This record gives sequence, structure tokens and C-alpha cells, in this order.
Amino acid sequence: MFIARSEYDRGIKYVSSFPESRLSSTSNTPPSTFSPEGRLFQVEYSLEAIKLGSTAIGVATGSGVILGVEKRVTSTLLETSSVEKIVEIDRHIGCAMSGLQADARSMVEHARVESQNHAFHYNEPLRVESCTQSICDLAIRFGEGAEGEESIMSRPFGVALLVAGIDEDGPQLYHAEPSGTFYRYDAKAIGSGSEGAQAELQNEFHKSLTLQEAETLVLKTLKQVMEEKLDSKNVQLASVTKEKGFRIYSDGEMAEVVGRVPTN
Amino acid sequence: MSSPFSINGGACVAMVGKDCVAIACDLRLGLQSLTVSNNFPKIFPYGDVYLGLTGLATDVTTVADLFRYKVNMYRLREERQISPQTMANLVSTSLYEKRFGPYFVSPVIAGINHTTGKPFICGFDSIGCIDFAKDFIVSGTASDQLFGTCEGLWEPDMEPEDLFETISQALLNAVDRDALSGWGAYVYVIEKDKVTKRLLKGRQD
Amino acid sequence: MLNANSPLASGPSYSFATPPNQTSTNIKQHSFNPYTDNGGSTLGITGDDFAILAGDTRSTSGYNINTRYAPKVFKIGEDDGTGESAHIVLSVVGFAADGNALKERLNAIVKMYRYQHGKPMSVKACAQRLSTILYGKRFFPYYVHAILGGLDEEGKGALYSYDPVGSYEREQCRAAGAAASLIMPFLDNQVNFKNQYIPGSGEGHALEARKATPLPRAEVEQLVRDAFTSAVERHIEVGDGLQMLVVTKNGIEEIYDPLKKD
Repeated sequence: MFIARSEYDRGIKYVSSFPESRLSSTSNTPPSTFSPEGRLFQVEYSLEAIKLGSTAIGVATGSGVILGVEKRVTSTLLETSSVEKIVEIDRHIGCAMSGLQADARSMVEHARVESQNHAFHYNEPLRVESCTQSICDLAIRFGEGAEGEESIMSRPFGVALLVAGIDEDGPQLYHAEPSGTFYRYDAKAIGSGSEGAQAELQNEFHKSLTLQEAETLVLKTLKQVMEEKLDSKNVQLASVTKEKGFRIYSDGEMAEVVGRVPTN
Repeated sequence: MSSPFSINGGACVAMVGKDCVAIACDLRLGLQSLTVSNNFPKIFPYGDVYLGLTGLATDVTTVADLFRYKVNMYRLREERQISPQTMANLVSTSLYEKRFGPYFVSPVIAGINHTTGKPFICGFDSIGCIDFAKDFIVSGTASDQLFGTCEGLWEPDMEPEDLFETISQALLNAVDRDALSGWGAYVYVIEKDKVTKRLLKGRQD
Repeated sequence: MLNANSPLASGPSYSFATPPNQTSTNIKQHSFNPYTDNGGSTLGITGDDFAILAGDTRSTSGYNINTRYAPKVFKIGEDDGTGESAHIVLSVVGFAADGNALKERLNAIVKMYRYQHGKPMSVKACAQRLSTILYGKRFFPYYVHAILGGLDEEGKGALYSYDPVGSYEREQCRAAGAAASLIMPFLDNQVNFKNQYIPGSGEGHALEARKATPLPRAEVEQLVRDAFTSAVERHIEVGDGLQMLVVTKNGIEEIYDPLKKD
């Protein structure tokens, strides 16, 4: 009656590197099929993928949002500036990512097009929530289409985003998951160190945080959960403010903020 | 645009007031979009009668000269000035003579009949059909615009000063919305014993 | 089939009634004319805290009158049929079918915008959107001259006018349609005080032009009525009724006045 869980799991039809598995299987279960218990394993696994990713943190204050990520410097030969985990979506929206970076590329590209499209059509900046919503709309376009035709995406995205932006409602921070759900947060941590980091944010966050305090809070929290020793090369910060919009911190600014982080 | 009536451009308007009439024209002469002259008046006095002519510039001059000739002959033969009403019929019959090869002009007449003392205005099509209007007559490439401004601004029994202001505003605002007319204007206010001719400064574009 | 020489076929053009032209070589030339001019005129004027859009209600085809009541001004973005929630008005004049299609489309977009973005669309945003809609049909245009009205972000009256392919501009006043050439110079003079100078303010070029200031609502309403009664006198495609939509911070008010029916 029920097929084995492993067959729901695999998304067999779509695993091109193992064509024989498809032949041997009796069913053609796509990744967007519910298990008998009512779960979408592929989606759940994609959430697991994020837990393997590097930690990313976002903190929203009254005057702006701070995004921070750890760059895993796996080799001393690695050019750290080539690790791009915080990117611009529009002048007023940016995002930090954790998980499969390649997946994030297409999500960010989608969001950028959506934002430019909105500005073209309406002569106004896209709202942060609408931007996040458009990303999530894309995130659930996996599986097969309504008429059973091949879908563009065979599996859910393996990346979560922290979308930071500013609009007429002020600075906002959103967390978008591969499941297509999103929530707004005052402060949020994602990635491998998210559990510890989130607990720290829970303790330290308060509504009257200044932008400068948020910078140090992000770095301080990252420092606690990072395996490497925090320096200005293996972390990156960005801010979204009313005055300057989205901005990635320069090396000089990074060094300055890192210098402010209390050494314990 | 290739209509002979709209090659050179130009506008003319006449209005009736209380014991007075006014007639006004723009000063532009053009060749389609090219302005050739900004001093080409389109109103010609014939004694007490004033004739405004818009349309093909060559016909404007020709017709103006033709009526100079005809009105002079009338005065010499009749030993009196031509009345506006007689002038209207002269214009009408003269234009109709050229029924199948017309002058491309839209004439306007304004004057006060010195026998009756009543103001008189009228307009014509290019083959002499008379339009006896009680309020105002418009002609030229800005005629649509003039209909709008005149219909909106004109009121009965205006004194000469008000009539001058009204016809000036009607003409200036109309020609500003017509690319083929403008570049200043002449306004004649005709009263029983006095004619005032004023040169108006307009937009030079 | 209609005779090609019949007054109906050779008169003002109709959408589908044009018969094939018979040439001397006996080859039939078929044609399809997708556009009709339905006449009429529209007009918009803004004040300090309101915008008025008006249009006559006559619809014509050639010398025929289709109906004496076909609205050309519409509320945009109402979601309950009462118009309570609408704050933008659109007027369209030209080809009525295209005008209605454009209205329906903009209306749907404005509603969807509110659902998608959780806020009402600003007039500025709606103006830009209307432009892209019109330009989207650059090679088979909506045959209309549109005017969009409402209140801007500061609560001031806003008015945008368009050509059929989406070129647009914000203005104080604009007339469109059959009698635009009659009404527009009148509006220049009475709304923007064009060619008016302050008496005794100087000689020649020193003469000071009268500055345009926003007019009070009652005065604007009367100007609209005057403009239309004038247009009715001189234009056969304008008449029957005058419909006005007045946008204020309290919503949209509709006024209907009869015009001459001849």
C-alpha cells in the first residue's frame, strides 16, 4: 500500500547521475509528493542543508538593519574577498545567505529582476516584504507542474536568506526558507551556528539598539559560534540605512568594527 | 497640412460689443513649420469697414488688393463710403465668381454701419457663403481654438475696453495652442467716432 | 453587402462595416479597421486638495449618436462596488472599446497591487503603471487619450495626461478628445492665467505675468461647466450630459449635469 520512505526521499526521477535507480524503481515519486505521514521530505532535507551552511546573522534597529556572515576560510590560499555571502538586491534591499550559494544566486537574481521590474512599472521602490514574498514564490516552484510537465526546478533550494531592507515602514529584516515560508524578525541567525547565536540574540536584543551596537552585537555573536578565530578577513558586515541604502562594509570599516568587539 | 488654407498659417477673429466691434489678427507668415515673417498683418481697412483675411498668403494679398480696387471704384461711383453690409455682399459675390477656382481665403468683416449706427460683423467661406453672426466670427488655422476661447470668454454688450481685453485674450490664448499662428497680434477696436489700433506682444515661438 | 459608394461605407469609417474595395482588375481588396472614433471630450483640473475629472456622456459613430449616456470617467481600484475605497480616477476618450478595456485592466492591476503589497497604490505609481500598460501595446495601441487623477502623497491634487502610447506628464489641467482644441486654450487662460499680466507692474518686458495659483473647488467646477457648455455649442460630438468625479481626502464625489442634446 504505502511505498517505502526511501522512495519518497530520493526524488528518483530527477537524480540524473543514477539513471539505473530510476529503472529499478517501481514508482516515480517526485520530490514534491507528500509522504503518508504528511511530510515533504525533500523540503525538510533542504532545511537540513542550511544547518550545514556558515552562520549568518541579521539585526534590525530603528535606524537600519545590520547583516553579518562568517566566511569559512578553508585554505590560507583562499582569496577571502571572493567569498560573497552578502549581496545587494536593490539600493534599498540586501541579503545574507546560508546554505548552497549557487542556489542563492538564482534567488537573488530573481529578486533583483522583481525589484527592477517594480521600479520600472510603478516608479517607486519595491517593499521589503513584497521582495521577500517574490523570493518565496520562486522557492516553491519545484516539483512538477500542474499538468505534469517537467518543472524547471527538480528540488527545493538548499539555501536560506536573511533579507534586510528599508521602505516606507522603516527598516525590516525577513528570514526566507526553502519551504517558501518567511517571517519577519528583529534579530535572526541562520546556518550551522544558528542555535547558539539565536539564543545569544534573544538575550542581547532590545528595541532601542543603535546601529553601532547592532554591529558589535552581530560580530560578538558570530565570534561565539565560529570555529575559527574571528578577524576582519573571515567575517563580513553590511548595513541598510535610510541615508545610504544597502552598503557592504569596506576592509577599513570591518577592521574598525572588529576592533570594537570585546575580547574575552 | 497640404491644404492651401494651412500652408502659411494665421488667425483672425471679430467680436461685437455694445455700440462697438473689434477685429484682431496674428502676425505670423510661415511656410509649413518654417516661420518666414513675424510682421504679416491680415486685417485691411476699407474706409469704415475692416476686412480680415486668413488662408493662403498669396491669395490674402491678392484678395486684399482686389477689394482695395473694388471699394475705391464703389466710392468713386457712389460718392460715399461703403457700408459693412454692402462690403459683405461685395465680398460674397466676388468670391462666388471664382466658384470653381476659389481664392483660398476665409474672410472676416467688422465695422459699424454709419447709417444705422449698429455694429456689424460677418464671416465667409472661400466661395462666399456669408455667416452673419451676432457674437463673434473666427477664421484661420487656430479657428478651433478661437471657437473655444470666444465661446468661453465672450459676453453680450461689452464696453470697448472690455471688448478689447476679451478679443485680445481670446486671440492670444488661441494662437498659443496653434503652431501655425501667433508671433504678435493687431487689434482694432471700432467705435462710432473712433478706431483704436493696438499692437500686442505675444509669445515668439 | 454594402455598396462601396453608399454613404454609409464612404462616410465616416466604421469598424467592421467597410466592404471590400472592388478594383478594375476585379481583385477584391479586403480591409479590417479595428478602430472607431467615438467622439466626446474629457477634462481634468487640479486644486490644492482636490482633483476634478470630467467628461461628456455622448457616444458617437460618425454622425450617429450611439447613446446619450456612456461614461468616460471611472473610479479605479474600488473593491466593494460602492467606490468608497477608490482614490484614483481615470478618464478615457477616443475609441470607447479600448477605453473600457484599459479601464478594466488598470482597475484589476490597482486591486492586485493592494493585495500584493498591502497598501493602496499611490497616484504616482499608478501613473507610471498606466504608462507601461499603454506602451506595452506600442504596435497596436489603445486608441485613447487618457487622463489620470487623484491626490499625491502630500494630499495635493494630482493629474497626469497620456498620449495613446504612454508618454505622460503631470499637469494642472488638461483637456482631451474631440473638443480638446477648443477647451485647452480656454483652460490655459483661466486656470494657468496665460497671457494675463498684473496691471501697472511695468512697461514692456518688465510687465509682470500673473502667477498661477490653485483655484478653489467651486470655481473649478464652474470652469468645467463653462468649458463643456462652450464645447457643446461648437462641437457636434460633445453633448447630452456632463459627468464629474471629484477626488478629495474624503473620497470621490460624482456630479452629473445635463448638457444640450442637440
